[in-house]
Amino acid sequence: MSGSQAEYRSTLLGRDLVSCRDLSLREVSEIFSLSNQLVRGELRLDSALAGKKVALLFTEPSTRTFQSFYMAAKTLGAEVMSISDPSVSSMAKGESLYDTVKMLELYGAGCIVLRHPARGAAKFAAESASIPIINAGSGSQEHPTQALIDVFTIWRKRGSVDGLRIGMLGDLRYSRTIPSLCQLLSLYRGVEIYFMAPQLLQVRREVEIYLQEKGVTFAKIDEAEEMKRVLPRLDVLYVTRIQKERFPDPTEYEKVRGSYVVDASTLSNCRSDIGIMHPLPRVDELSPEIDSTPNAWYFEQAGYGVPIRTALLYLIMGGK
Amino acid sequence: MDESLLVRKIDWGTVLDHIPAWQADRVVKLLSLEHLKRNPDVSLIVLQNVPSKKLGRKDIVKLYHYMVSREEAGILALIFPSITINYIRDWRVEKERPGIPERIVGRIRCPETSCVTNLAREPASPKFTVLQKYGVIQCMYCDTLLEIDRIPDYLV
Repeated sequence: MSGSQAEYRSTLLGRDLVSCRDLSLREVSEIFSLSNQLVRGELRLDSALAGKKVALLFTEPSTRTFQSFYMAAKTLGAEVMSISDPSVSSMAKGESLYDTVKMLELYGAGCIVLRHPARGAAKFAAESASIPIINAGSGSQEHPTQALIDVFTIWRKRGSVDGLRIGMLGDLRYSRTIPSLCQLLSLYRGVEIYFMAPQLLQVRREVEIYLQEKGVTFAKIDEAEEMKRVLPRLDVLYVTRIQKERFPDPTEYEKVRGSYVVDASTLSNCRSDIGIMHPLPRVDELSPEIDSTPNAWYFEQAGYGVPIRTALLYLIMGGK
Repeated sequence: MDESLLVRKIDWGTVLDHIPAWQADRVVKLLSLEHLKRNPDVSLIVLQNVPSKKLGRKDIVKLYHYMVSREEAGILALIFPSITINYIRDWRVEKERPGIPERIVGRIRCPETSCVTNLAREPASPKFTVLQKYGVIQCMYCDTLLEIDRIPDYLV
């Protein structure tokens, strides 16, 4: 980094990012401020992590998260060690996560970015390693860097997150982005959250308890008619994919699928400036007919993957 | 019926009193019968559905030559808030209403099969935070909730 920010030091330096619960509002603002400078082209961090190594340990499929972390590390001039296909690594021979993390640390990694199918894997890795662990998705539990991208998108588009009414639609039970997003939103004042999903896929109770403890206003909505009443009040609608295989009875899926597709007729029932978001990949829950509307924020949202992850690696690894 | 007529007093050990009626088997399960069996001096007496001024009917578990640990007492108090624990040393009785623990380490399996603590080969010992207000404990690794009255089903 050049100029007066040369001595910039962050409270995130050397820290793990296992959960959004690990972050204060000040730290989130710090990540957003740096990401925003990157997006606006006001800052270049080339070679900021030169001589350092970032390990990408992905034991579950990933396109966006892996690529954006890879690009972020490269942008910062770091060397990248990657295990993205566990079938050709020693993990296929039964090597434990614990041993793999230890090995990467001994090979000189300054940070491990971990995606793993087990819930709690990132926390366990963080306890096992003396270098920072960044959770890039821990089963259906959490995906904190996706939540940072999501809230950064809202912040950039709206200028503020305080007081917004945010609807979450789709499979809220098995989505790893929803718990992280809720944790991050709880840092802002007066946010209201509406969970819109069939009962079977409603938000998990641990998320409800977290929001209750943080004093966040929320409501669970599982009736299509009630959803229609709530839609016009929303500032943002965050859509997640409903997976057919989650339903024990396929006829149950057929009954609800129409209520969870966002198309032009959905938009006609919303505020004209509502933002539609999605962590992607989408299947058929977002109709392509809304792609060209100003309400479609999801591609811009995906585009923030690199700057957010660049800022995060920079702050955690202490870039120059 | 006076319970003293059923079982004589003990000089050394623990008496778990005011257990809700017909719940003694869950108390014994929680104390780990296998663990108790390893000590040849331990005797176990279970009284079920005896009259109680406080509860109407209650169960009692008497353990000769076994002192329930603080950790076990805390978990018992969490599941059975009415329980009282009497430690007996040389006939002297110390009555205790154990405090609810904030955390439980290593005694309970996480109910979430995809939790890292349930993976073979990972040296991750289960840890839980007690959220008594909500009637649950929460896995400190994977956040999964377990209802307090289901704890005996997940004992390690």
